[in-house]
Amino acid sequence: MMDLFFKPESIAVIGASGTPGKLGYVIVKNIADSDFAGDLYPVNPKSDEILGYKVYRSVTEIPGELDLVVTVLPTPKMTVATVEECAKKGVKAVIIESAGFAEMGGEGKVFQQQIVDIAKQNNIRLMGPNCSGIVSRDIVTSIYPITKKVPGGNVVLIGQSGLLAAGMASDIVENESLNISRVCSIGNKCDVNENDLLEYFGNDDGVDVISMYLETITDGRKLVRIAKEVAAKKPVIFLSGGRTEAGARAAMSHTGSIASNARIVEAAVKQTGMIMADDFTELKDFAKVFSTQPLPKGNRVAVITLAGSVGVNVSDLCAAHGLELPKLREETREKLKDMFDTPVSNPVDLYFSVTKIGFTKTLETTFPDAFRDPNIDAAVVILAGFKYTREAVEKKIIQKIVREVGKPVVVCMIVGYNKYKNVIMDEMGKEIPVFPSLISGVKALSRLCEYGIRKHKKSA
Amino acid sequence: MILYEILGKAGEEKRTVLTEIEAKAILGEAGINCTDTQLATSKEEAVALSEKMGYPVVLKISSVDISHKSDAGGVKVNLKDKAAVEKAFDDIMNSCKAACPHANIEGIAVQGLAKAGTEVIIGMIKDPSFGPVLMFGLGGIFVEVLKDVAFRIVPLEKNDASDMINEIKGKKLLEGYRGQDPADIPFLEDMLLKLSALADKTEAIAEIDMNPVFAYKQGAVVVDARIILEAD
Repeated sequence: MMDLFFKPESIAVIGASGTPGKLGYVIVKNIADSDFAGDLYPVNPKSDEILGYKVYRSVTEIPGELDLVVTVLPTPKMTVATVEECAKKGVKAVIIESAGFAEMGGEGKVFQQQIVDIAKQNNIRLMGPNCSGIVSRDIVTSIYPITKKVPGGNVVLIGQSGLLAAGMASDIVENESLNISRVCSIGNKCDVNENDLLEYFGNDDGVDVISMYLETITDGRKLVRIAKEVAAKKPVIFLSGGRTEAGARAAMSHTGSIASNARIVEAAVKQTGMIMADDFTELKDFAKVFSTQPLPKGNRVAVITLAGSVGVNVSDLCAAHGLELPKLREETREKLKDMFDTPVSNPVDLYFSVTKIGFTKTLETTFPDAFRDPNIDAAVVILAGFKYTREAVEKKIIQKIVREVGKPVVVCMIVGYNKYKNVIMDEMGKEIPVFPSLISGVKALSRLCEYGIRKHKKSA
Repeated sequence: MILYEILGKAGEEKRTVLTEIEAKAILGEAGINCTDTQLATSKEEAVALSEKMGYPVVLKISSVDISHKSDAGGVKVNLKDKAAVEKAFDDIMNSCKAACPHANIEGIAVQGLAKAGTEVIIGMIKDPSFGPVLMFGLGGIFVEVLKDVAFRIVPLEKNDASDMINEIKGKKLLEGYRGQDPADIPFLEDMLLKLSALADKTEAIAEIDMNPVFAYKQGAVVVDARIILEAD
């Protein structure tokens, strides 16, 4: 059933427009520019042709079967009429992008109930209303232009807000910052909700990481059941809005007076093994780490730096986020001793090695020698955005080492010239996680370790 | 089953608050260890129950209309003999009738005095989206001031119960701090799992407080309990 949304063979866009800039135009253009190879039917009573596609007056006028209908109509009333037509036509999947429904209260709520009723009677699955639908390689119904091919990667993003999900999708696709496969905005989720999608993507072997943002939780009990199953297979990163809302219940018990929505959501995240993100950047950053780095077996970290003071700060942050900085083993220290003027410790200060053999070579040999130490599960590598870093970045040394050693790395860049730093962050950031602050890198790595340890325990 | 008898009775009487005796009967049937608590409708009955349970005993007013029992002068503890029980019975009746003249008083609950242990609170509430949710914490200021509690969604699995207990910041106090006896953590975990099973199968229950629970080196006991039913 969900496949009708993600792999339709025919799509109608109701409220399609020939005027560039209008939502009805952007959607048709986005679908046309995607890899969608089926039949596309723009619907508009006043046009004949949009972007080379023949325009139809109504859904019922479209010949043949119709898998998916996308509506972007100016009034809720028109949307209700369209859903009715979809029922007549035998359509089974509808994405309603228009706003003006339950989120407005009053009459909007009534209109939403009407479309829900029609859908129920006719076995139609509805996504939305008040959403921006789907961004994927096969279909793009987003309201922002998608200018490049969607990567077809291993990450999916489920969002509630239409605008934000659309914005994040455009950002990720244009900047190639995440190996995304689908972004899905479910809006008011009058029918299709987070549980449907979590289950769908949980069963999709092509999806390795799920990031999800919710403002409301439709059916928490079911979410716990499904998330537990899915999170045991693959990481589910979770950001929940409205967590600070005080316990709204008029409780008579002591327990009820302490329980707040925030605490219950946090409990659910812990109980299911999901990974809590605290903002939208983390939703993306954590997904980047999880989708590009191998899972560590433990939380023992090597900090790789050229500046002692940075190493100290990272050590403190690691301790605060549950990461350990163990000593390197005797054999590792012995192996590395020619590269250091002082005994090798952790943080691993590469300064002396750089003065002896240069930066690139240091990253190529000294770093992996320390990283291979059996006491180490993961590394935080601090790079600076200067000219001397360029060569190592261009040679993709870190990527190669991650592959060879089989342990995860996060890179933090806190100093540098923009002309190098920004380029390095952009370029390297396409393939591995690069953070503009130490705390963001350490936090993301701690989440990866936490999940890795849990998974390791389960399989042991 | 006691559970359905009590639910039926409360339904007929159109009340959502159960008495402590009823609450403990339901919890006891679910396998949760509670202090022996029985209703006395007369002074003589109170004495007879006290002798059967063994002194010292605790007397508490039993009325669904009096929720703050101590405030109404409805609780007398550490009663060591027949005379003390008789006096306490009269004192409680008099002060409760004065404090809450319209309260429907069914009698006085007699219970054995539990020996002091590590104070724990275990509770259940219903979230509109998540359904029944359990809470675990240390009693007293830890719950009142620090809100040092952990929640989990019902149904709990075994590891959820141990995670809850591990999660609280004051966990050290359960492990035997400064010469105190450690608490029987497996026993507390078992209590949580039994409460989870009860909450999971009983839709009619809206809220449960087991507060305090005294945890010992071996075992634990629910000293006071409160159950609120769904309104419809």
